[in-house]
Amino acid sequence: MTAAVALEGVTLAYGDRKALDEVTLSVAPGEVLALLGPSASGKTSLLRAVLGLAVPTSGTVRLGEEVATRDGCLLLRPEERGLGVVFQDLALWPHLTVEGNLGFGLAARGVPRREAVGRIAAMVRRVGLAGTERRHPGDLSGGQRQRVAIARALVLEPRAVLLDEPLASIDVDLRRDLLALLRELFAEGGTTAVHVTHDLREAVAVASCFAVMEEGRIVQQGALDDLRRAPATPFVGSLLDDLEGRMPVGEPGGEPRRVP
Amino acid sequence: MGGPLRSPAGRREREVALSAAGAALLLGSVAPLASLLVQEGSAWRGALDVLTDASIFALLVRSLALSALVTALALSLGVPLGVLVARTDVAAPWPAALLHAFPMFLPPFLLALGWFHLFGAKGLLGSAATSSVFFSAAGVVLILAVAFAPVVTALVALGLESLDPSLEEAARVAARPLRVVTLILLPAAAPAWLLSAIVVFTLAFSELAVPMFLRVDVFPAAVFSRLGGLDYAPGEALGLVLPLLGLALLLLAVERRLAGARSYAVLGLRSGRLERLPLGRWRGAATLAVWAAAFLSVAPLVALAWRAASGGGFSQAGGWLGGAPWTSLSTAAIAATIIVAIGLVVGHSAARRLGGGGTLDAVSVLAFVAPAAVLGVGLIALWNRPGLRWVYGSAGILVVGYVARYAVIGVRTLGALIAQTPLHLEEAAAAAGAGFWRRLTRVLLPLHARGIGFAWLLALVFCLRDLELAVLFYPPGRQPLTVRIFTLEANGPEPVVAALALAHVAMTAVVLGAGGGLLWRRPA
Repeated sequence: MTAAVALEGVTLAYGDRKALDEVTLSVAPGEVLALLGPSASGKTSLLRAVLGLAVPTSGTVRLGEEVATRDGCLLLRPEERGLGVVFQDLALWPHLTVEGNLGFGLAARGVPRREAVGRIAAMVRRVGLAGTERRHPGDLSGGQRQRVAIARALVLEPRAVLLDEPLASIDVDLRRDLLALLRELFAEGGTTAVHVTHDLREAVAVASCFAVMEEGRIVQQGALDDLRRAPATPFVGSLLDDLEGRMPVGEPGGEPRRVP
Repeated sequence: MGGPLRSPAGRREREVALSAAGAALLLGSVAPLASLLVQEGSAWRGALDVLTDASIFALLVRSLALSALVTALALSLGVPLGVLVARTDVAAPWPAALLHAFPMFLPPFLLALGWFHLFGAKGLLGSAATSSVFFSAAGVVLILAVAFAPVVTALVALGLESLDPSLEEAARVAARPLRVVTLILLPAAAPAWLLSAIVVFTLAFSELAVPMFLRVDVFPAAVFSRLGGLDYAPGEALGLVLPLLGLALLLLAVERRLAGARSYAVLGLRSGRLERLPLGRWRGAATLAVWAAAFLSVAPLVALAWRAASGGGFSQAGGWLGGAPWTSLSTAAIAATIIVAIGLVVGHSAARRLGGGGTLDAVSVLAFVAPAAVLGVGLIALWNRPGLRWVYGSAGILVVGYVARYAVIGVRTLGALIAQTPLHLEEAAAAAGAGFWRRLTRVLLPLHARGIGFAWLLALVFCLRDLELAVLFYPPGRQPLTVRIFTLEANGPEPVVAALALAHVAMTAVVLGAGGGLLWRRPA
């Protein structure tokens, strides 16, 4: 089966610094992949390369059957890739209403007005934002803004949705609610997604497959059991420790142990 | 925001500093404007006469209409240029932008002189037809629009640079560049270009020399002629400017509504890496347009050089300059220093939303948006008294006028810098026992030395370019260079006037080049 999103030997450099170093990764249609890694490991650069917002110096980015980028050439511009995105800071357009934020991409992609109105109404209801259609982002609560950002990405019915740590810096209860919402939305739509996070608990809540990045490289990819069976690096081990409530090896007092 | 920054000792120091800055603004702008309102009954009757005199009222309407047209044309040139320069992949955008922006730092009158040597009847490209367009209201609109378009370009470019990059990226994922620009970037940067519209309208309405040179009657010229021309009648001048106070207050209200509340929130330059929007097959045409605008801006300077060189103006210029460059430089430098000091104290209080800061920020804006004739007549009414001759009869009155009119530059630029500085840096110093002065001199000054230098440079250049205010009350024998060129233009030899204009251009270029170069080399 053709991957929905595939990177083959992708290298992306900013000056002398390689943000991505020969990255190869694929996401199957309908699969939700969690991309994990410490800060500055290249997770966001990978998303930007897939979105077409950064052009890799070498390697190929494929979206389904189409080649989007090859060896430094942007073959599909960002707006031609049919992707949806949720940024960490949400990037809601402050001068547009909720309806306007959701409708912008639909209009740009030529969706007929009547159909667009229907899709917006259905999505607004689905994410629990009914009644806020005419409000601006500045008039919404933090949780409502998160929902608008998610709705804005999904209302486009994208071939894949990319989420760049969208749940960072929000409280635990809200994060639990939004994770549940994301899981439901992905399942209902059979959505292909790449969910960037540095938190394995969050990843496990939405994803079926996991990839771990360090220093611009994919150091391990597979199911959670694959990671458990043979963690490729100490960082992967520490992620699993955190997930399972173990004191990491090397910490004071430190043999691996389970918290009761 | 509370806590250490509001500790009694620090608060007292800040209040003393703010009171001193407030007193300077009061003497320079509030008191002169207020003095217009407390005139004798005859002045008010004069104002009523103005409003009921059909010809004067028509002049007022005409000036407002011309300023509106200049603003519309400057926006239609400057907004697309700002977008092209700041956000698209046109070739060599910043060199073009620098060339385009340079005339912004010159009095428009000098540019009008240059255009005259291009399109006047005897100009390089001139004919009777071009001359008839040049010496008309259309000529005034075209010249001022080209002169002020760089203000729009610069503010739009800065506004776009200050937007959160992810707003643009989120749109790029869904839409083509043109749609991203028109539906996302320009609306999101609206405070910047609306502010530029206010600035251009204000400058256009205050402009005196260009309409007078092109023999187009405008309201400020009517005020000027009653202060020193054949129509000398200072009482009438007072009557004429009273209606303009209302205009100034209206502009202030618009500025407060459009930009006031947000002016400190959007000035941080973007830190993220963002690809420029690809123009595709339009890239060549867009590059051509940007560079054409750059050459359009400097074309009048080339014409001035041609006229000065062809008539031997350069060799005679020295004798005509006198002490004017020194007067310009010395008064502008002193004024810029005071402006920066006021800007630091008031800008700090405004940026940190501390008591009094917002009010003094509004006062500085009011003095700038008030037509120069209003401020000038107010300064004359307040300072032209026997006991104050030591100020009014010296170059000191130029410093007072410059500080009043351009204090906004210091307040807004330094306020924006301080707003971008984490409050915790000051709070940490306050918690360590530092009072207001120590925080200002040990934390903010070293942190923003380069920004403060640029604010000083900007204030200096705006004081150097002033003509419309200084021409109303320059002291005998102490003409700034701009006034010297303006007064010589009527009767002086053309090549010499062109050479003097170029001397002003050179002085501005040297100040900007040397100052800018020094500041860029200094570590941030």
